[in-house]
Order: sequence, then C-alpha cells, then structure tokens
Amino acid sequence: MSWRNFLLVALLVAAAGMVLPRVLENPYYFFAGYVVLQYVVIATGWNILGGYAGYTNFGTSAFFGAGVYTAAFLIKAFEAPLLVQVLAAAGIGMLLGLVTGYLTLRIQGVYFAIATVALVVVLETVVHNSDYLGGASGLTTIAPPAPAWFAGPTQYVFCVMLVLALVAVGIARAIEHSWVGRSLRAIRASEPAAEACGVPTLRMKLAACAISGGVIAMAGAPYPYYASHVDPLSAFSLTIGLNALAMPLIGGTRSWIGPVLGAVLLASVQQITTVTISSEFNILAVGLMLIAFVVLAPEGILGLVAELRERVGRRRATT
Amino acid sequence: MSISRRELGKLAGGISIAMAAPAIWTSARAQNQPIKIGCTVSQTGALAGTKNSQIGYELWRDNLNAAGGLLGRKVELVIYDDQSSPAQVPGIYSKLIDVDKVDFLFTPYGANLTATMMPLAKQRDKVAIGILTLASNDKVKYDKFFQAAPWGPNGAEDWARGFFDLAQTQGVKKIAIAAADTEFSKTAAAGGKRVCEQAGIEVVSYDIYPPTLNDFSAILRNLRAKAPEAIFLCSYPPDSTAMVRGLTEIGLPASVRLFGGGMVGPQYASLMQTLGKNLNGIINFHLYVPEPTLKFPGIEGFLAEYEKAAKAANVDPLGFYIPPFCYAAGQIISEAVKATGSIDQKKVADWLHANPVETIVGKIRFNELGDWTERRVLMAQFQGVDDSGLDQFRKAGKQVILDPPAFKSGELVPFAKARS
Repeated sequence: MSWRNFLLVALLVAAAGMVLPRVLENPYYFFAGYVVLQYVVIATGWNILGGYAGYTNFGTSAFFGAGVYTAAFLIKAFEAPLLVQVLAAAGIGMLLGLVTGYLTLRIQGVYFAIATVALVVVLETVVHNSDYLGGASGLTTIAPPAPAWFAGPTQYVFCVMLVLALVAVGIARAIEHSWVGRSLRAIRASEPAAEACGVPTLRMKLAACAISGGVIAMAGAPYPYYASHVDPLSAFSLTIGLNALAMPLIGGTRSWIGPVLGAVLLASVQQITTVTISSEFNILAVGLMLIAFVVLAPEGILGLVAELRERVGRRRATT
Repeated sequence: MSISRRELGKLAGGISIAMAAPAIWTSARAQNQPIKIGCTVSQTGALAGTKNSQIGYELWRDNLNAAGGLLGRKVELVIYDDQSSPAQVPGIYSKLIDVDKVDFLFTPYGANLTATMMPLAKQRDKVAIGILTLASNDKVKYDKFFQAAPWGPNGAEDWARGFFDLAQTQGVKKIAIAAADTEFSKTAAAGGKRVCEQAGIEVVSYDIYPPTLNDFSAILRNLRAKAPEAIFLCSYPPDSTAMVRGLTEIGLPASVRLFGGGMVGPQYASLMQTLGKNLNGIINFHLYVPEPTLKFPGIEGFLAEYEKAAKAANVDPLGFYIPPFCYAAGQIISEAVKATGSIDQKKVADWLHANPVETIVGKIRFNELGDWTERRVLMAQFQGVDDSGLDQFRKAGKQVILDPPAFKSGELVPFAKARS
C-alpha cells in the first residue's frame, strides 16, 4: 500500500470514527471498541522493538502503567487536558524506554526479557509507595467533561484512542519502510553481521526502545479518563504484557498490519467472551490461539496469507 | 366522497387505537418483563475467594421469586466475571446498563473495583448497592448509592475503631500498631493512632511493613521489647497467617491483653480451619458471627440454605463474612421497590434515604452518602477454639462479640489466659 493510499484509508477511518458517536447510540460499543483500539496501540508499540528488532519485551505493562500514572498525575496536579496528558505520557514513555534500553540492551535474549519484567516490579513498587498517586488503593480521577460534539465521555475517549491508533500505526509503517526499519531487521537477523555492515546497533536499538515505550505509554494516557480510577493492579497488569506479546505473534511481526490484525482479532474475542461465554475463557483463548499460531502459523496471520498466496501462485504456474 | 358523523367517529376511534397500540403493547410487555439486577462477581483472579457472594444474590432472588417476585414481576440477576480487574469493570457495567438494560446495580466486591463503576452509575442515574466497598462514595457523592456493609460513617478511618474503644475501656496505657503497607490498613492504623492520642494511650511502636512480608519474627521480637498492653494488627490473609504462626513460635509478653483488630483472613473458613486453636485470644473485626445478640430475622435460615449451596459450589462453607450482606443488598432493593410500588430510581433512592430497611443482617438506616448511620463492625474474640474443625464455629461462644456494646455477647479474656 502506497503512502497516499495509506493516508487516504487512515483519513477515512478517522472520519468514520468521528461520525460514529452521532450514529451509534449505545455507549457499550464504545467501551468495547476503546479496549480493542487500546490494544492496537499497545501491540503496534510492542512490535517496533519486539517484532522489527527481535527484542522480546515482557515489561509492556511498565510503559503502559507509566502512561496511566503520568496522566493521572497531570489530572490531579493541573487538571490538564487529555491532549497534554497524551503528549506527556508519550514523552515519559520515550524517556523510560531510553533509560531502560541504555541499561539493558547490552544483554540479549532471555536476559533482556527478564530485565524488562524487573521494570514492572520497580515502577509498581514506586506507585505503591507514593501517597500522592494513591498508593495501593489507587486514585480516583474525575476527568473534565467531554467536548460537546461527542455524545458522552466514552465516545470522546474512544475517538481519542482511534486517533492514537492511527498515529501509532503510521509511526510503525514509517519505521518499517525507512532505513531505520531496515537497520532493525538487520539487527533481528544477526546483530554482529549488522554491526559489521556499519549499522549503529546500540543507537538503533535505543531508538526502537524509546519509540516503542513512547507509543505504549501513549496508550495508557486516556485510561484515567476511561476508568475514572487508576490503581497499580490494573495499570501494571500482567494481562497487558501477555496480550502485547500474543497479538503481534498472532497477527505477524514482520509488518505493521500484523499487530493490528492480531489486536483486533484477539481483543474482540476477549471482549465478546467476557460477556457471553465466560471470562475465564479469555486467558484460555489467548493461550490456545498462541499455541495454535506458533505450531501452525509461526509467522502469524500474515505468514499464513503469504504461504497461501504462494501455493495458489505455484498451482497456477503448474496449470 | 362524503363521510357520515358515525363513520368519522369510527375512523377516529380506529386511528386512536392504532396509534396507542404500540405504547399499550410496550407498556404491557414491560410489565411482564423481569426486573433485572446486574453486577459483577470476581469469579477469577486475586479476589476469586469472594465469589461466594453470588450465592447470597441467588438465594435472595430465589426466595423472592418463590414469594411472587417484585411488583408481580420475576426478578432476574445478570452477573458477569470481572476477573478481579478494575479495568474490566467500566465496560461490563456499560453492558449491564446499556445492553442488558438492568434496573438496579450491585457494585463489584471492594473499593478498587467499585471506584471504576461509580461515575458510570451516577451518569446513568442507577441505584447502586455497595458490596463491602469502603468509602467508595466519599468523592463521587452519589445520592443513589447505598452501602450494604456496616462500615458506618467515616468508614475509611473508623472501621476498626472498636478495637481502640475496647482498649480504652480496658484501661490500656501502651499500644503497638503494625499495619501492611496498603491503603485499607494504613488508613485504619492512622485513624487508630489518632484515637489513641485523643484518649491518652501511648503508641509505643508504629510499624508499616511491606505487604509481601511473611516473616514476622523481627517485628514480634521488637514488640516484646516494647512491652505493650495491646497490639493492633492490620494485615491480609498471608501475613495474618504468618503472624498467628509467629505468635505460637515466639510468643508475646505477658503484658499484652488485646491482640488483633484489623486482620483480614480469620473471617474465612479455610484459615479458621488451618489455624484452629492458634486463633484463641485474638480479637478481630468481623461483620457477622453466630452469637445470640445477632439473631436477626432470617439469618439462620439463610445460613442453612447457604451451607447447602456452598457445598455444591465448593466455596467457603461458613459464609459469615460476605454472603449475608449480598442477600441484604438484595433486600435493600426489594424492600424499597415494594414500599414505593415502583422501580423509579429517584423514588427508590428517596425512600431508602428516609426509611430504615429490615434485612437479615439487621435494621439498616442510611446517611446522606449512603453509608450506615451507625458503625456495626464487630470486634469478636476467639475463645475456646480447638482443632476439631469448622462445625464449632457454627455454634455461639467461639467468636464472642466484645464491641459494639449493644451486641456484646461475652466478656473479654486477657490474651495470655485465652491461649493457655
């Protein structure tokens, strides 16, 4: 898809999203849609480091939680508008990514993954011990009223998350099709070889870590507005880390569309099963889908589609 | 074409009936629809131990429907699992209100989960009954919120005050306070410290320990050195268990007459069975114990029904702590609907603010924030407990109520004597 077409589709999606609150009356669909879009942002952010560069980050909830608490702090201290909260959260996420990356990116594989888990524990402990941020019991955040155009706060926060999802996907696509993306793919294939070819590996990894952290933290910023209450258990939830990992793997990690497909598929299944079959099925669904994709389609949905196309092409060539 | 007056009358009548029919049909249909009450229950996750709350709701629904329902309509529960995650709550409650069209709400269990649904309940103007949520309405100040649990006014700070009142009446001069580093515990500890300062009781030690601590030997040894007459402990099930075991191994100085207060855990059957006689002497908060002073109409029948249901569901076999208050939450709604003859949210809320409600956990009167006007958190002492199992706790005399004075069912036995 060319940049022109991508921008056209993005604009159409954004316009449809803005009109939706005027057409669809039931707020529940905006609650559910918000969660799906939130995971599109998180999975896309995760994939910049985990997919393109091949560095598995288990600490997604640390970045998400940092975004949540940055926004909560800004609401409490300054009653800052949502746009300021989003920008600040992205900034803090980038900074956190940069610092974490500097401290951990010299280690690789499982050691890097463990180091990212530690980040969750550190940040959660900091929040637990901060009276200003509500400690273990959390902080009630009564956000300012939504602009008049939107039918309610849920519709507003849904539209904000839709814009963030488009921004995140745009960033991921830009990285993928630039020299940065090529450098990260080289690192993923073989770090010593990339270094030998002149790729500044540490600098590239730091950039990926910072951008990934910024995008994930950005996803956390509207959460205080959405839930009206923040607490460490939700902000630093293991489920976020698990989903962030599973969604790109299910969708495919090689391209920006993979995490989007994985997030829409998995988050929708989770939202539907929560209020239909059983929420215990949520975790089971993630697990089963992950196993199924790892075994049957290790390259995710994208890999599966590519393989099918190849087979069809080969069949046509033989006939 | 001419039309006679009689034909005109018939035509007008026909049009009127045709126009009114949908409204009449909808209204008649609504009258036949069940009254729906929606909530979440933590069936999975960290709070899954509280899922026996569902039995309380279901027994209330079944008994009410067996007696003819509400306003001639059946009562239906719509329950989802919130996975103990506050992040799940807003979406699920939106589903309950906007899709399932429930008429009334029960909150999730506890303050953290409830905090995320309170703004939504207020926005949609639905009567919500709080399930053991502490101070959930202090900030939102929603006039249609009512608390089913007896924390009383200013519950966040005063829910464990009975322990300090007891210390005061016992003439305690030196007290030690230890609390887990969580809001629930810290706020109660801070409230207790202030009561002590007002009453002239010296706080000889004030320890806030990490919630993950599981070895209390250092704290207990430190307490021995300070020789307090009372020790207030505000802990969660893992640390409550570790502390009780530590007591048995290390012991306390003979000066200690009162021990306990805010321990979460000794209310649950599993811990009561595990700790057995090690619980003797501990004075701890509870919401219901089977003492003669708490024989409210219907509570014994409820517990008998609960026992059977709990066995089938494989949950807490005693069910003293949460389920009676879930049943009472249902009664709060049904009594108000019966009295007003309506499910109009304002009428129901106004009636609840103005009238007391008779429930299986006693008569409840609400203040302007929907909290009970009087705190009725019990301070009960374990006495004469042996290792024979759970049946002993179903009889009176094993958890003797010392506070509030109106429900007192026995005398305090000094800690060392109760354990000897």
